[in-house]
Amino acid sequence: MSVFSEYKDCIAEGDLVLVWISRDNIKPIKVDSNEVFNTRYGSFPHEMMIGKPYGSQIAIRTKGTNKFAFIHVLQPTPELWTLSLPHRTQIVYTPDSSYIMERLNCSPRTRAVEAGTGSGSFSHAFARTVGHLYSYEFHQPRYEEALREFKEHGLVDIDKNVTITHRDVCRDGFRIRNGDVTSHLFGENETEVAVGADVVFLDLPAPWDAIPHLEDVISKDEKVGLCCFSPCIEQVDKTIEVLNRYGWSDLQMVEIQGKQFESRRQMVRTLDDAIERLRDVKRRKNEGLERRKRMCDSLLNDQPEADETVEKRPITEKTKFNPFGKGARVKEGDANYKWKQVTKVEPEIKSHTSYLTFAFKVANQIRNEEAIQRILESSESK
Amino acid sequence: MDPLKQLAFDQHVILRLPSGNRKIVQLKPNSSISLGKFGAFHVNDIVGYPLGTTFEIYYDGTHEPDLKNQNRIPVGKIRLLSRTENETGEREQSPLPAELANVLSSANNQKLVNLGNDVQGLSMAQIEDLKNQTASGEEIIAKMIENHGSFDKKTVYSQEKYLKRKKQKFSKFFTAEYLSSSAMLQFLLEKGDVQRVMDMSQESLGMLLNLANIRSNGTYLCVDETGGLLVYFLLERMFGGASEAGATAIGGGTIVVVHENEHPNLDLLKFSNYPESFLKDHIKTVSLLDFFEPPSSQQVEAAFTPLPKDQVRSLKAGKKNAYYRRLKWYNNQRQIITLANETEYDALVIASTLHLPQLVQRLSTRVHGSRPVVCYSQYKETLLELAHALYDDLRFLAPTILETRCRPYQTVRGKLHPLMTMHGGGGYLLWAHRVIPAAEPAI
Ligand SMILES: C[S@@+](CC[C@H](N)C(=O)[O-])C[C@H]1O[C@@H](n2cnc3c(N)ncnc32)[C@H](O)[C@@H]1O
Repeated sequence: MSVFSEYKDCIAEGDLVLVWISRDNIKPIKVDSNEVFNTRYGSFPHEMMIGKPYGSQIAIRTKGTNKFAFIHVLQPTPELWTLSLPHRTQIVYTPDSSYIMERLNCSPRTRAVEAGTGSGSFSHAFARTVGHLYSYEFHQPRYEEALREFKEHGLVDIDKNVTITHRDVCRDGFRIRNGDVTSHLFGENETEVAVGADVVFLDLPAPWDAIPHLEDVISKDEKVGLCCFSPCIEQVDKTIEVLNRYGWSDLQMVEIQGKQFESRRQMVRTLDDAIERLRDVKRRKNEGLERRKRMCDSLLNDQPEADETVEKRPITEKTKFNPFGKGARVKEGDANYKWKQVTKVEPEIKSHTSYLTFAFKVANQIRNEEAIQRILESSESK
Repeated sequence: MDPLKQLAFDQHVILRLPSGNRKIVQLKPNSSISLGKFGAFHVNDIVGYPLGTTFEIYYDGTHEPDLKNQNRIPVGKIRLLSRTENETGEREQSPLPAELANVLSSANNQKLVNLGNDVQGLSMAQIEDLKNQTASGEEIIAKMIENHGSFDKKTVYSQEKYLKRKKQKFSKFFTAEYLSSSAMLQFLLEKGDVQRVMDMSQESLGMLLNLANIRSNGTYLCVDETGGLLVYFLLERMFGGASEAGATAIGGGTIVVVHENEHPNLDLLKFSNYPESFLKDHIKTVSLLDFFEPPSSQQVEAAFTPLPKDQVRSLKAGKKNAYYRRLKWYNNQRQIITLANETEYDALVIASTLHLPQLVQRLSTRVHGSRPVVCYSQYKETLLELAHALYDDLRFLAPTILETRCRPYQTVRGKLHPLMTMHGGGGYLLWAHRVIPAAEPAI
């Protein structure tokens, strides 16, 4: 059973769990009752997680200090995995991958081809949704790492829906034959995998060299959708040329811009209060002047009125009008002040990931005339 | 024939016209479909070809005029617009459209004088004649180029532009596409139903589906104020269509729709190609009142007890009907109890204009730990209020407001640039995870 392909209730020994420490610190761990998960704030024995429902908060008292620390333990999803996976290459993030999957109409009926596998970020999202994913990677260590990871995540197996193949798709194409280095287990009389893809995703530097090879593995009797993911506009230009030459149509290139917002509060500071504060400052300044003048006068006149002035000081301090908490450290949202809810865009946005070039193809535009006649006749006879 | 791959009888499909407009039609056997100025065709002529095929309507002069109704668009014949031949064959040698391959052009348009319609040697009447007599759009356009006084003075760029404009005007081709959820959204947006679909965009919906981890075999709690569009997106992602009438899905999965009116509004699903029985199996609807104030089991059991089968059989006709009506009520009440009190949901997905903090916080009590809560809104401000409310509620982890926008480009070699205008909407998403707070640990 894979934590990626089924909804699980409770955490069990051996599960892959994502530990959420903070928004940009999510750590995958394999639950092992002899292990301890260490953070800056304290140590969490895995034992504490076992048997708890997924989504549980785990809280501990930190040693020495009497504070407490906590983490959340989540069941992995492809989207959380993308935020926590070990990077072996550049990866595709959710704003791009989710758009591509929607535009190519991915569903359990989809048979998808993806090259190269890279860090497997997109592979996990595809694997969750499509009927079968054929992923290709030509870099040997990366292929092996991905294969190991996919196995561990329960994505590659006899009854599972991912096949990964070690292959330079630009040179040698996409066909998977008995004897190739692949996760596919060939049956006794099976010589080649019937890929029949209706969705293709190319995230490699020279998609134009891979496109001609697609003819061997795409489905012929239905519409096939393709997306090339390239950072440079020159790559797009070359890709368009080859797509046109190989009979792909409805070409369109787009860019996706994703943004995240923090929800924050800004203090409501009115003009009236600002004026009132100035008025207050001015009044107190005048009072101060008068006081000083009186003190001077009394000194000059040699009338000892000292105890009166001592009394006056603290009173004026206390009535100081300070509607915005100036000088004090005010926490955002402090209930003694008024606040306006605001959004703050993340400090650094991904302003360019890649260009997405889409194209479509219906290879065999034919129909079975006899079948149509049969349907019409049978409906007439009814 | 597989209705998910080929055009099938009685299926709803979406037609793309040369003008860029779209039209949803049903492919009724032996009927014809009119596309206005782009002509009309017989449904039987296109059924069986793959979804996504482009057809051309042409008139060879043999069609019979409709004597009763002169204004009726005559039904033409169908042939394939074989793009592949065009684009692989002729384009290989020349990057230009085939129509321009054999005409002269100018390096710049310095010599081009704007004479309006006078440069066109064909009169309006002659063009009308051409349209009636024969002629595919391509033939008309070829004639117009031939008779154009200063076509050779135009640059290649403006020749291409001219061609594109005329193609949109005279071509009688259309593409018959699968009616996906995205295609339905596109159709509604272009039709001007922006408010009805809450200004959603394909990219926002795509992101919602992924963030909510929608897939087959899930049980999802959903509020949909778009008349079923959001539910259709979920259905398509979970099942990818039902391949034959009544056919069972690849996997299981249920969408529980909570609605604010007495009856749910999922009208748009009538265009989907899922059989009624399929929708009934996979979509359950409960009103907000029933969801939050379900009847008690005791009440329901006290009001009605199902009879053994043989006893039912022996009931008289009138009584039998009454019995079945009450049995239906009973099953429905039991279902409400299950959905409201027992089911733990695998995601909460919302597109609603109800006040979100209350709605999301109350519905989330039924969401399983670690599962996503995703809320779509046309406005960032309503999600902001929600984010603050969820931030203070320990049952929600890291509420985040997200925006995603797709920027389309003119996709022509050597002339790549972002389109000059695009749809401005698309809304926003809030994403959080349902979590289970721990008690403060003992010392
Ligand atoms: C940017 S990464 C892909 C990242 C991946 N989409 C993800 O989301 O994690 C590109 C990968 O393509 C592989 N690659 C490049 N050229 C290839 C080829 N001709 N055949 C197969 N893989 C190739 C590289 O080794 C690299 O791992």
